[in-house]
Amino acid sequence: MTDVREDILARLLVIVGTIPNMRSAQRNNVEIPEDLLPAAIVFDGDEETQDASDLSMRPPNRPTLIHMHPEIVIAQQTDEVGSDLTTLRRELLKRVLTDIELNQNIVKTGRYGNGAIRYLGCQTDVGWMRSLYGALRAQFLFKYALRPDDL
Amino acid sequence: MSHDYSALLYDPVYAELGVSATLTAGAMAAVEITVIDDTRSKGHTSSNLETRSVGPGVYVRIPELTAKGIARSAYEGALLTFSGRNWIVRSHEIRGSPNGEDLGEVRLFLKAGA
Repeated sequence: MTDVREDILARLLVIVGTIPNMRSAQRNNVEIPEDLLPAAIVFDGDEETQDASDLSMRPPNRPTLIHMHPEIVIAQQTDEVGSDLTTLRRELLKRVLTDIELNQNIVKTGRYGNGAIRYLGCQTDVGWMRSLYGALRAQFLFKYALRPDDL
Repeated sequence: MSHDYSALLYDPVYAELGVSATLTAGAMAAVEITVIDDTRSKGHTSSNLETRSVGPGVYVRIPELTAKGIARSAYEGALLTFSGRNWIVRSHEIRGSPNGEDLGEVRLFLKAGA
């Protein structure tokens, strides 16, 4: 059994946990206390195919391409939250985009297959709590082959 | 206005609910004041994520601050210590009073200090 979607999301959680000074790494946790900051939360992404426009006689169990859009939120609370988020973003991008396990074994990018990993962008959000609080929401695109016979 | 809101309202309330605090504004010597702790739970929602913390703050009587030489221009950046924690005043809000805003309260918005 191979579930690439789950493999990607599980690997992302491992990756964000390696970011220096990150106090907690979680998946789909929507409520966290300040004691866990800085925190990185991996949110399972929506995904889509182009199969609605493919109504040929192709057997339904043939491989198809998936575009999955997970979101990773980095949250921090400190007077220097802007600089901290910039640093954490840099470490996040570097780790996700260059991770060997993701690129070679799971998504199979470049010469390893027809998968792809893209950083789509991010949005920031700030507010006052005990100190200045900031969150950075980064979106990624993972293109991978879904092979129903492997599920 | 025949009613003295300081004597009738603020002073009794501060005598009951207030706690001692030390305020240090700029280069001035620290002064002892009475504050009412207004720290509340506070959350921030960003996308799916809600982070929970507190919004620290206090109420202070403006006449007490004025009597101790603390002008409004000195509020921001002042160091405030009470109930075992250190804070820095990051902003303030004048609360007004039927006797005039200078005889009312100010709400000091705080951030964590060293």
